[in-house]
Amino acid sequence: MKYFAVGDEDTVLGFGLAGVRGRAAKNAVEALSAFREALEDGNVGVVLITERTADLIRPQVEAWLASGSFPLVVEVPDRGGRLPGRPGLRELASSALGVGA
Amino acid sequence: MRNDAPTRTNLLALREELSLARLGRELLDQKRKILANELLALVDQGAELERKADEALAKAWRLLEDAALSDGVLEVSILAGAVNSDAGIELGRRSVMGVQLPVVRTSFTERGPYYSPLDASYRVDAAAAAFREVLSMMGRLAELRVSILRLAAEVRRTARKANALEKIAVPELEAAVRRIADRLEENERDSLALMKTVKARLEAAAAGEA
Repeated sequence: MKYFAVGDEDTVLGFGLAGVRGRAAKNAVEALSAFREALEDGNVGVVLITERTADLIRPQVEAWLASGSFPLVVEVPDRGGRLPGRPGLRELASSALGVGA
Repeated sequence: MRNDAPTRTNLLALREELSLARLGRELLDQKRKILANELLALVDQGAELERKADEALAKAWRLLEDAALSDGVLEVSILAGAVNSDAGIELGRRSVMGVQLPVVRTSFTERGPYYSPLDASYRVDAAAAAFREVLSMMGRLAELRVSILRLAAEVRRTARKANALEKIAVPELEAAVRRIADRLEENERDSLALMKTVKARLEAAAAGEA
C-alpha cells in the first residue's frame, strides 16, 4: 500500500521527494478529480490532503471520513501552516464526551 | 405509556423486561466508559504526535524552500521524479468493543536515488530526508485521527442509547409494572370483599332455614 498526496504543487513536490505519488490541484474540480483518483486506486492506503485543498471539496472529504472505509484520509497543513479555527483532536474528543465527562 | 392488560402473566413479563432494560443500560454504560477511556488515551497520543508532525512538516517546508531557492524549483521537481525510495503502508484493523479501528504501519524501502549525488545539492537531500521523516509520522497520525473520529461517534451513539433506556424505557416499564401491580391488588381486595359478602349471605340464609 502507498501514500498519495493531494494539494498544491509544493506539497506534491515535497512529498514527491519522499517517494509519494501525488496530484496537484488548484481548484475544486481538479481537487475532486485528484481525490477520486486517490480513493479509487486500490493500492493507496493513506491519502494526504492539504487543509486548503480539502476545504475546496469539504463535503466529499467529510462524507469519506464518515463512511469509515479505506483508504484513510488525513489532512496536513500546507506551507502556510495550519489554518486557524480547526478543531484539534482534543476538541473533537471532548465534544464527543460531553462537558465534564 | 404502555397499555398491557393487568394480568399476572403480563406483570411477570414486564418485570422481566424491566430487569433486562436495566441490565442493558448498565452494559451500555460500561461500554461507553471503556470507549471513552480508549478515546482519551488515543487523544493524548494523537495530540503529541500531531504537534511533532506539524513541527517536522514546518521544518521540511523550510528545507524545501531552501532547496528551491538555491537550486530552482525545476531542478528540485526533476530530482523528485528520480527519487527511488518508497513508503509502504501496511493496513490492519483492531477492534475495541466492536468498533473497527485501523492500524497503520509505515515502512520505508530506501534505495539510492536515480540522480547522481554530484548533481544534487545537499539541500535537496536534506529536504527529502525531512519529508521522509514527516511521512513516517503521517501513517500513525492518520490511524489516530480516524480512530478518534470513529470512537467519538461510537461514544455519542452509546451514550444516546443508554440515555434512551434510562430516561424512557426504564421509567415507562416501571410505571407499567406499578400500574399492573396496583390493579391486581385492587382486584384481590375486590374479590375478598365479594367473598365476605357472599359468605355473610350464605350464613344468613343458613340461619333462616334452621
